Amino acid sequence: MTNARRAARIGRRRWASSKTFHSDAQTEMELTGGSTTQLEMDLGELPLPSYARPAPKEDNVLEQGDLFDLLAESPEPTPQTIFEGMEKPIFEVAFADGRNARFQHANTLLESLEAQDIHIEYQCREGYCGSCRVRLVEGDVHYIEEPMAWIDDDEILPCCCIPKSALKLQ
Amino acid sequence: MAYTTFNRNEFDTFEQPMFFGEPVNVARYDQQKHKIFENLIEKQLSFFWRPEEVDLTNDRKDFMDLPEHEKHIFVSNLKYQTLLDSVQGRSPNVALLPVVSLPELETWIETWSFSETIHSRSYTHIVRNIVPNPAVVFDDITKNEYIVRRAISVTKYYDDFIELSNYYQQLGEGKHTVNGETIDVNLHELKRRLYLTMVSVNVLEAIRFYVSFACSFAFAERAKMEGNAKIIKLIARDEALHLTGTQHMLQIMARGKDDAEFAQIAEECRDDVVAIFHEAAEQEKEWADYLFKDGSMIGLNKDILSQYVEYITNQRIGALGFEPIFDVRNNPLPWINAWLNSDNVQVAPQEAEISSYLVGAIDSEVDTADFGDFDL
Ligand code: FES
Ligand SMILES: [Fe+2]
Ligand SMILES: [Fe+2]
Repeated sequence: MTNARRAARIGRRRWASSKTFHSDAQTEMELTGGSTTQLEMDLGELPLPSYARPAPKEDNVLEQGDLFDLLAESPEPTPQTIFEGMEKPIFEVAFADGRNARFQHANTLLESLEAQDIHIEYQCREGYCGSCRVRLVEGDVHYIEEPMAWIDDDEILPCCCIPKSALKLQ
Repeated sequence: MAYTTFNRNEFDTFEQPMFFGEPVNVARYDQQKHKIFENLIEKQLSFFWRPEEVDLTNDRKDFMDLPEHEKHIFVSNLKYQTLLDSVQGRSPNVALLPVVSLPELETWIETWSFSETIHSRSYTHIVRNIVPNPAVVFDDITKNEYIVRRAISVTKYYDDFIELSNYYQQLGEGKHTVNGETIDVNLHELKRRLYLTMVSVNVLEAIRFYVSFACSFAFAERAKMEGNAKIIKLIARDEALHLTGTQHMLQIMARGKDDAEFAQIAEECRDDVVAIFHEAAEQEKEWADYLFKDGSMIGLNKDILSQYVEYITNQRIGALGFEPIFDVRNNPLPWINAWLNSDNVQVAPQEAEISSYLVGAIDSEVDTADFGDFDL
């Protein structure tokens, strides 16, 4: 694996594990009816116009190699998305071809499967490209973000959901 | 029906189909028949980027050091992408806007097409950087037989639809004599051409670009042309959204969700759909042959690229509810996924320098719990 790819993968984990959904924030998100993007846009600082934006600081610039080392020194505290008032979900995930996994300590079904060496296609990892589409034979899932990709009634997008029950996938 | 820029009829927007209903009037987004298009607009706007924000100075040096056969691969892909985005930057507007009936879909089409113009502008940025005279690249696009051949299959569905649609708007349904020629304008045929156009657009955005994407990322895997790869990641992110938009339109049509005639047309056209996907996959494989005619590049050769084309063709046609048309079951280039995943904040730390410049970029590492006290 090249450094670039390793860094990309680590960067993704780092982002993912820092994401914690607060139930209040979640409800408000639903009330506004918008995507999370919209929520963040509303709350975030207004971006500066390009001429006013500071140049990146020298000491902030990471080389790919540095980054790997740097991240290795800062292990993740709690890797699972936490929903207030909801128990941490732990569910069995079975595939029609006989492969088995267990969902626990993960932000999304996709991350959980990847961590257990079950390869699922992906691209956007946030529900808008449809690459991760799999068929749900049995069980139920909860979407962390409203998925935008087209899926059939019996399909799910593992990149943006977590199980609500044991699952059987194809 | 004649086009009007502001339809003064009163009508219930929820009664309107996506296309061929009332021409739109008020651009309002408070009532939406298909909310997905509003979501797509929001997402596309949040993706906004400018090519000049990606620094390409190292690419110039990299390019000069590439062996000739790799220069050929790089430049040929750039030409092909330029062709595809030239088409996509205008055609959805020209073809679809005159017949659209929902404001959110109208705006999605404009937003979609606008993002393609950014892609086109990025090619000028890249070309200016690698050759002293950009004309040597751009002028060849209309001359190079390998590109021209593909340009024909990319544009013929759009052109056939636009031709009949123009007659429909001017003359309405029926048999008409124009310049001594009899033209039969009927809505069923027009809808059929629209459906096939959408399929060919889906193929363009969801398959045809991917050979170039693979080559760009294969260069970047060797730490060559990395600025270009950053631009391609941003383009690939937009294209993933476009293909989702097109899949929604095709599925709304095929399920007769707002116009039962389209469900019938989709049924009639099943073989045509398979043929369009098949033809595109074969052309892309031929293209791979042309790219590698003087030699392969590290990590990619004609065979593996052809398998990749077959693989994504299966994926895309599967999303439309068709059986796979090729035997490949697994992605032969799994490393590409990490490159294709280019969300401005979630990925690659090496992308940090792009996202920090991006207008509207958000620090998504901020815990939403921090906002608990904010009133929305
Ligand atoms: S990876 Fe894009 S929708 Fe799941
Ligand atoms: Fe494009
Ligand atoms: Fe596109």
